[in-house]
Amino acid sequence: MTPTQASSHWDIFCTVVDNYGDIGVTWRLAQQLAGEYRISVNLWVDDLHSFSHILPQLDPGLSSQTFAGVTIFKWNTPLDIGFTPGAVLIESFACELPEKIKAQLLAQHQSAEQAPPLWLNLEYLSAEDWVDNCHGLPSLQASGLKKFFYFPGFTPKTGGLICEKNLLTQRAEWQSCADNRLGLFAELGLTGIAPQDKVISVFSYETRALAALCQLWQVSMPRVHALIPKGRSLNSLTQLLPCPIADLVPGQRIVHGNLTLHILPMTDQQAFDRLLWSCDFNIVRGEDSFLRAQWAAKPFIWHIYPQEDDYHLVKLEAFMSLYCDNLTPEIAKPWAELNLAFNQEQQSAVNLHWQELDSVDLPLLQHAQQWPIDALNDADLASRLVQFVKNS
Amino acid sequence: MKTAHEIRPGNVIMLDGSPWVVQKTETTRSGRNAAIVKLKLKNLLLDSGTETTFKGEDKLEDIILERLDCTYSYFADPMYVFMDAEYNQYDVEAENLGDAAAFIVDGMEETCQVTFYNEKAISVELPTTIVREVTYTEPSARGDTSGKVMKPATITGGGTVTVADFVKVGDKIEIDTRTGEFKKRV
Repeated sequence: MTPTQASSHWDIFCTVVDNYGDIGVTWRLAQQLAGEYRISVNLWVDDLHSFSHILPQLDPGLSSQTFAGVTIFKWNTPLDIGFTPGAVLIESFACELPEKIKAQLLAQHQSAEQAPPLWLNLEYLSAEDWVDNCHGLPSLQASGLKKFFYFPGFTPKTGGLICEKNLLTQRAEWQSCADNRLGLFAELGLTGIAPQDKVISVFSYETRALAALCQLWQVSMPRVHALIPKGRSLNSLTQLLPCPIADLVPGQRIVHGNLTLHILPMTDQQAFDRLLWSCDFNIVRGEDSFLRAQWAAKPFIWHIYPQEDDYHLVKLEAFMSLYCDNLTPEIAKPWAELNLAFNQEQQSAVNLHWQELDSVDLPLLQHAQQWPIDALNDADLASRLVQFVKNS
Repeated sequence: MKTAHEIRPGNVIMLDGSPWVVQKTETTRSGRNAAIVKLKLKNLLLDSGTETTFKGEDKLEDIILERLDCTYSYFADPMYVFMDAEYNQYDVEAENLGDAAAFIVDGMEETCQVTFYNEKAISVELPTTIVREVTYTEPSARGDTSGKVMKPATITGGGTVTVADFVKVGDKIEIDTRTGEFKKRV
């Protein structure tokens, strides 16, 4: 007898580690699979409170609820909701599945009647060369079950990058109308921004480099508006704040010379995308906002998640090398050095390279506009993932 | 049980009821300090090979097979020949040595462990650290003494190791055979 699949749905498991990063990626993927591929998706999340920051309609008190065609389950330990294996099971970012579920998979594997779901570990995004050789490899479990490592990446040999089907068109349409930008700022309660001002979104980890840039921006022309949500970036700017971070309110403006700090309200993912599209420059962190800044087609600094032994710098260099591949050294050098200095908290270097970028503003912007097309390599992550599942 | 991170070439692990000899290990770093370990394996029952990946902390069942302390004698393509204290010789396929082959040189004195399965020598484990002489490397470019700037170096036997910038031709260096990484100058 040929084993059959009990259900065609997909399950995605996610543990929230960095508030908005892991859940940001998995939520986007779940929505895309449901919306574009009509796949029934269950998303299991261990921290609905953090999730609710990027999906404000979510009720953290409910054990299950549905948005955008995705059923969201509260993943408690031990698991207190019945799990029905479907066609695909994704553990995102190497999160550990509940033992109860692994036992169910094994029982299916040993049964002649039902095939277990295709089990995938969705890994972190990296531009390093080794990803090409590890993407899609099986992970043979002692029990005989097989799991596959799925690596997002920038080359055709990898699992691709998360990018919704119409995203780049929507972004281009948005950016073609100058009123959209000021309209969004007004909608977010950000006041005093003139059309000719430079607007920079800031979503970084703590770093002294940000404080140095803010000092520079206080005396720069044109005027700079730094849009910063309450969170880790502000920990580096306490000297510029009139009150403790907890007392800051969204929409609040803090003026220092030619620099205005604006406290951003929390937004959902769509509004965050539009914010990145609307700024002249974006400082982003981690994985989700890093990728969205690339799709925004604007110059950016990537504040990468710090790792032991400065290994994050290897990952940063790998990405910068790809990003700068067809850029002339005059453009690539200051941009790469700016990113490196920011990540190494080198205050004078970050200011120096920021000023050097002034002379290459336009070609860097042109490169940022071409980059999303080059980076996608004709296929985004969801379409490659669906194909991978079909071929497995 | 060992974690995937602790597995090294020459180990034999049980997967789905079959013994597999580890021919090559490659550890890389994923996000948030998590290790990814890629293994090249050979199934000892079917004589077939595969590549597989694990999280660094995944637990793997390593099986203890008969082992003998041996020293390297000579290479008779495609077999490396090792000898025990009683002068018995054992042939090990070059393919089964994986990256360890780069550290095997004529006249080496280190004691290796030859592993047997069904009375056949199937793999060799080198000591965790070995010392080799640098036969070629570029001179230090920047006079760096921190050990953070790295460069390639050729060692006795022709293998290549990434070493600290301050290492010179003729220096003896300690190498971790599990990872192939330079540890220090001795």
